[in-house]
Amino acid sequence: MVEQSQRDFRKRDFLYVVPLWLLHLVLPNPVPHRKKDFQKRDLLYLLLILILPLIWSDGHIHHLMVLAGINAILALGLSLFLGYAGQISLGHAAFFGIGAYTTAILTTRYEIPPFFAFWASAFVSGLFAYLIGRPLLKLKGYFLALATLGFGEMFLVFVKESYELTGGVIGIFNIPWFSIGGFVFDNYLKQYYLIWGVLIGLFLFSKNLVRSKMGRALLAISSSEEGAASIGVDVTKMKIGSFVIGAGFAGFAGNLYACVMSTANYETFSLNLSTLIVLMVILGGMGNLYGPIGGAIFITWLMDVLGSYMEYSLPLFGVILILLLIFFPEGFGTRLGMRFVYLISYFPRKRRRDEGKIQ
Amino acid sequence: MFLSYIPQLLISGITIGGAYALVALGFVTIARTSQIINFTQGEFVMLGGVITFFFLQEGLPYPVAIFLAIGLVILIGFLIQLLVIYPLRKTSILILIIATLGASLFLSHTSAVVFGSLPKALPPFSGGKPFEMSGILIPQQNLWVLGVTPLLLMLLYLLSHQTLLGKAMEASSTDPLGAELSGISRNLMSFLAFGVSAGMGAIAGIFITPIYYTSFNSGTLLGLKGFVAAILGGWGKNSGAVLGGFALGIIESLSVAFIPSGYKDGVAFITLLLILYLRPKGILGSPFIDSRRW
Repeated sequence: MVEQSQRDFRKRDFLYVVPLWLLHLVLPNPVPHRKKDFQKRDLLYLLLILILPLIWSDGHIHHLMVLAGINAILALGLSLFLGYAGQISLGHAAFFGIGAYTTAILTTRYEIPPFFAFWASAFVSGLFAYLIGRPLLKLKGYFLALATLGFGEMFLVFVKESYELTGGVIGIFNIPWFSIGGFVFDNYLKQYYLIWGVLIGLFLFSKNLVRSKMGRALLAISSSEEGAASIGVDVTKMKIGSFVIGAGFAGFAGNLYACVMSTANYETFSLNLSTLIVLMVILGGMGNLYGPIGGAIFITWLMDVLGSYMEYSLPLFGVILILLLIFFPEGFGTRLGMRFVYLISYFPRKRRRDEGKIQ
Repeated sequence: MFLSYIPQLLISGITIGGAYALVALGFVTIARTSQIINFTQGEFVMLGGVITFFFLQEGLPYPVAIFLAIGLVILIGFLIQLLVIYPLRKTSILILIIATLGASLFLSHTSAVVFGSLPKALPPFSGGKPFEMSGILIPQQNLWVLGVTPLLLMLLYLLSHQTLLGKAMEASSTDPLGAELSGISRNLMSFLAFGVSAGMGAIAGIFITPIYYTSFNSGTLLGLKGFVAAILGGWGKNSGAVLGGFALGIIESLSVAFIPSGYKDGVAFITLLLILYLRPKGILGSPFIDSRRW
C-alpha cells in the first residue's frame, strides 16, 4: 500500500515539473555515457565561461571565480578517484599542499619560471601519491579514509616543523605571478582565464579518460572489486592510476593557488579543505564530471557568503553541511534528475498501468 | 645522557596514554554497537573540559560542576545521534564520515563562540606536591588519570558482559538482522551508545584538562589520536583500545628523545600507517576484521 501511494502524482509535483524542465534544458545530462561526446549545451557552458567575467566585471566576483576554478580542479581530480573508482580519500588537501609548496620552493629559492614549476608540482604530487598509494590502497572503506586522513595530518605536521624547507608556520611569501613567455597574469581577470583554461583542458582529459578502457575499469571497481578482478581488471593498478591522476590535478591546482595568492601557508591545506573537496564531489554527484565543478562553484560561493558572519561562519557551515547531506545525499543533480525522469514518465507509465501491461 | 630522561618521559607517556585510552574506548563503544566511526568523539573530550571550566567560573563547587558537565555532554551526544546519525543511518560510509566531521566542526566552533577561544586549565583534583621516586616526578593528577582508566574499563566490561542491555548493544553490531528479529531496536542501541561514549569522552576531558590545556580546537587532534589508539590495539575491542592508548602514549612521548619534539604529533599517524599496512587487525586482533585485509 505504501508503495502505491508513493507512486501517485502529488499536486505539488506540478510545482517541480516546470522549473525542472527548464533546468534540464541547460544543465548537463547526469547519465555518464552518452553516445555523443559533446552536445550543444557544452558550447553554451564554454561561451558562458568566456564572456561571464566580462559582463559581470566585479573584482570580488572575479576573485571568487578564481578560487572556484581552483576548487573545481581539485574536485575534478578527486571525482576520478572517489566518484568513479568509489574509493574514499580524506587527504586530497595534502597533494594540493605539496603542489603549492613545490611551486613556492622552486620559484622563490631556485628562480625557476612558474610555467616549469606548474609541471614540476603535478609531477611531485603524483610521485607522492604513487609512493603513498602503493601500500595504502590495499585498504577499503573506513580504513582507507582514515589512512589518507592520517597522511594529510602528517603532511601538516611536517610542513609546520621543517622550518628550513617550508618556512614553518609563517609559510613562503612573494611567489611570482604565473607567466608564460613574458606574458604575466597579474590581475584577477587574466588569472580567471588562466585557471578556467587549465580546468577546461583537464576536463577534456578526464572526459576522455572516463570513456576509455580505464574509465570503464574504474566504474567496474566501484561496483565490485572482486567482480572487476574476475573479468581481468588490474584492480591495484587502476586504483593507483586514478589516485595518481587525481593527485596530479591537485598539484596543478596547488601551483595555480600559490601563483595567484603569492603565498603558501600550511593552514590552507588542513582537514577542513579535504572535507570541503569531498563535499563538492558528493553534492555534484558521484560518477559525473560536470557535477564536481558545479559543486565547487556552489561551495566556494557558500563559504564566501558565510565568511561575512565572522565567528559564526564555521558553526553555520557545520549545520548547512549536515542539512545538505541529509537532503541531497546523492548530490543535487542526481536527485533532481531522478525526480524529473520520474515526473515526465508519469503519464505514459500510468496509461500502461491502466492497460494492465505493468504493475 | 638523554637516557636519564627516559623514565620521566615514560611517566608522561603513560599519562597521555590513559587519555588516549579513554577516547579510544568511546570510539569502540559506538563501533561495537553500530559500526559507525564517530569523529565527534574528540569534541566530547574538549566539551567535557571546557564546560566544567565554565561551571567552575560560575561559582559551582568542583564535584557539582563535574557531574553537570558530564550530564550536559551526554545530552549533546544524544542530540548528535538524533540529529545527525539517525537521519543518515541508511547512507554510505563516506557520507557518515563527512557528516560527523561536519558535526565536529560545528561543536568545536560553537564552543569557541559560547565559551571563548582561549585555552583553559582546570585546577588539579587534589593539591599537594608531586610524588618523587628516585628522581622521577609523578604529579598527583597523573595518578587520577591512571586510576580512572581501569575503572571505566571495568564498568564497560560489566555493562557489555553482565547486563542484558550490553548484550543487546553487542548483538545489534555483530548481527544486525538477527538483532532486529529478536526485537532489539538498532536505533535505540546506537542512541544509547552515543550517550555512553559521550559520557566517557567528557570524563576523559575533565581528568586531563588539569594537565594539558584544553581549547576549542584541541578536540580534533585528540579524537584522531584516540582513533589511532583504537586501531593500534585492535579495532572493536575494549581491552585493545586501552592497550593501544597506552602503547601510543608511550611511543609518542619516547619519540621526543630521538626526534625534534615538534614532530611528535606526526608519530601517531606514522604509527597508524604502519599498523594499517602491517597488521590491520591491531595488536590484540579485532572481531570486525577477519584474516583478510581490509
